[in-house]
Amino acid sequence: MKASNMHPDVDYKQVGDTVLEMLEPPKAGWYLLLSICLGLVLIGAFSWANQIIVGIGMAGKSIPIGWGAYITNFVFWVGIAHSGTLISAVLYLFRARFRMSIYRLAEAMTVFAVLTAGLFPLIHLGRPWFFYWLMPYPNQMALWPNFKSPLLWDVFAVSTYLTVSTLFFIVGLIPDIAVARSRAKTTFRKMLYGVTSLGWSGSHSQWKHYMAAYLFFAALATPLVISVHSVVSWDFAISIVPGWHATIFPPYFVAGAIFSGVAMVITLIIPLRAVFGLHALVRPVHFDAMSKLILLTSGILFYAYLTEFYIAWFSNNPFERYQFWFRPFGDYALAFWGMVFCNCIFPLTLWYKPLRTNIAFLFVLSIFINIGMWLERFNIIFTSLAREYLPSGWGGYNFSWTDIGITVGAFGWFGTWMLLFIKFFPAVAITEIKEIMPAPRRSEAAAEGHH
Amino acid sequence: MKGNKLVVGVFPFLDDTLKAIEQAKSLGLEYRVYSPFASHEIEEATLPARSPVGLFTLAGALSGLVGGFGLAIATSLDWPLRVSAKDIVSIPGFVVIGFECTILLGALFTFAAIFHFCRLPDIFPKLGYHPRFSDDRFGVVVGCNKDQLEDLKKLMTEAGAEEVEVRNGI
Repeated sequence: MKASNMHPDVDYKQVGDTVLEMLEPPKAGWYLLLSICLGLVLIGAFSWANQIIVGIGMAGKSIPIGWGAYITNFVFWVGIAHSGTLISAVLYLFRARFRMSIYRLAEAMTVFAVLTAGLFPLIHLGRPWFFYWLMPYPNQMALWPNFKSPLLWDVFAVSTYLTVSTLFFIVGLIPDIAVARSRAKTTFRKMLYGVTSLGWSGSHSQWKHYMAAYLFFAALATPLVISVHSVVSWDFAISIVPGWHATIFPPYFVAGAIFSGVAMVITLIIPLRAVFGLHALVRPVHFDAMSKLILLTSGILFYAYLTEFYIAWFSNNPFERYQFWFRPFGDYALAFWGMVFCNCIFPLTLWYKPLRTNIAFLFVLSIFINIGMWLERFNIIFTSLAREYLPSGWGGYNFSWTDIGITVGAFGWFGTWMLLFIKFFPAVAITEIKEIMPAPRRSEAAAEGHH
Repeated sequence: MKGNKLVVGVFPFLDDTLKAIEQAKSLGLEYRVYSPFASHEIEEATLPARSPVGLFTLAGALSGLVGGFGLAIATSLDWPLRVSAKDIVSIPGFVVIGFECTILLGALFTFAAIFHFCRLPDIFPKLGYHPRFSDDRFGVVVGCNKDQLEDLKKLMTEAGAEEVEVRNGI
């Protein structure tokens, strides 16, 4: 069977074999990683429980920095969540073939990252059990939420994003679960895949409507990706805090989200590829394409950082000018220069082609980008709030153990979901990789035999 | 599927599968094709007409658009409170709500359309299905009567089937 350029070393059967081998009973390493992640979740849960019992003062929030580590984490995780739908929906519409090998993992990352991000506004609330006050529901006070507030836009945007990403993720999984169903060995797996594949058989009429629906999903998800992070940026830009009140925020946030999301996909896929031997499915050409995407978004981000400084100078607004002096030379200068190095300088190495396919280098770079993007959110939130208008209102922030516990707990929470997912459902798209491989034809097989 | 017998052809090649489909069509027999992935060639040979899924998406998106704006406008009028010197019904501020609801309901209706048109969840035995059709083989299942059986088996073999099976129809 002849294969495409993207996956020249495998045929249809081998694609299924390679991916489904990942679902075999886990080994000690997986249990070790799961234990570490669950341990982090416990630390986070303990910190949150303690904060609920003792009070919101357990967090390092202060006046003026009322949006501290939690909102930084929220924006960071929403950003991570972006790349999944971008890789999946946008690249689907553009018919980018490198998408097929990586999109499932990226979509899983999206869903679990939104689940993680969604926790932070709740944790940030002093009384999280009243979170439903954000929802528009008829209540005895006949009060409705303020639909002109960007915080409410955020509730609608993030919950729509979670719902649509989850549906898109489930729809993509159905045909692949049917493949897993046909090979399941244990009763538990047979039942799990039997139920979750919904009886999919891959008949011509099913594929017909499925593909039409998939296209519409992609067409709906694409503007959604752009809208969600724009709305998150408006949480800041609509206010009048120096350093936040800028029209550049939506495109700047969207580019940053794609940048951090692609980096996280690389961080996740490299160990997975090594452990499960996915070398034939995730090839250097995929890393090359992702590296180019990083290079592009890093350039946009670099340009946005420079523009912020230019606008501050050009505005002749003393508060804005002071804010952008404070960032590189003030109390949090280390975070600023760390951000510049991780997001702007280090990714420039990818102009050198051999580094775009150097797996070890890419892994290190992706970790640096993740750190850089966390620092970017830190810079936006902390430095702006620390230096608002009146010097009498200036202040600082002291990270508390509760902040740190909940921050690391979030990584554990995300990791737990990812680990469970890769052991129970196909983490690489089987049917869509087959779709981009040249279909076997007797005419071609005969011609090859003749040669 | 009409007929009390099913002839199941297992095909390793796509061009042979298309040949078998054309022959079943020319005989006026009902058929079903299974494939391990979505193939445009099979789609064109079997169901060239446009899928009606888009109508569901459109209906959902329009409901969301009206519902989103409607919710924001109606609740603002229900308790008129001027915020930040904005109009009580401030359309630019409601665009985000309208947009998000458009996408949300559009996606939910599309999801429902998949269930409706793909007949999911399908708990009944699938006519002539074999797990290999999810793996690396194409399947053409044709419904026929007993007297057409031999001709159809021959036709499948000639088209390039590596295996031909006869099963009882429903």
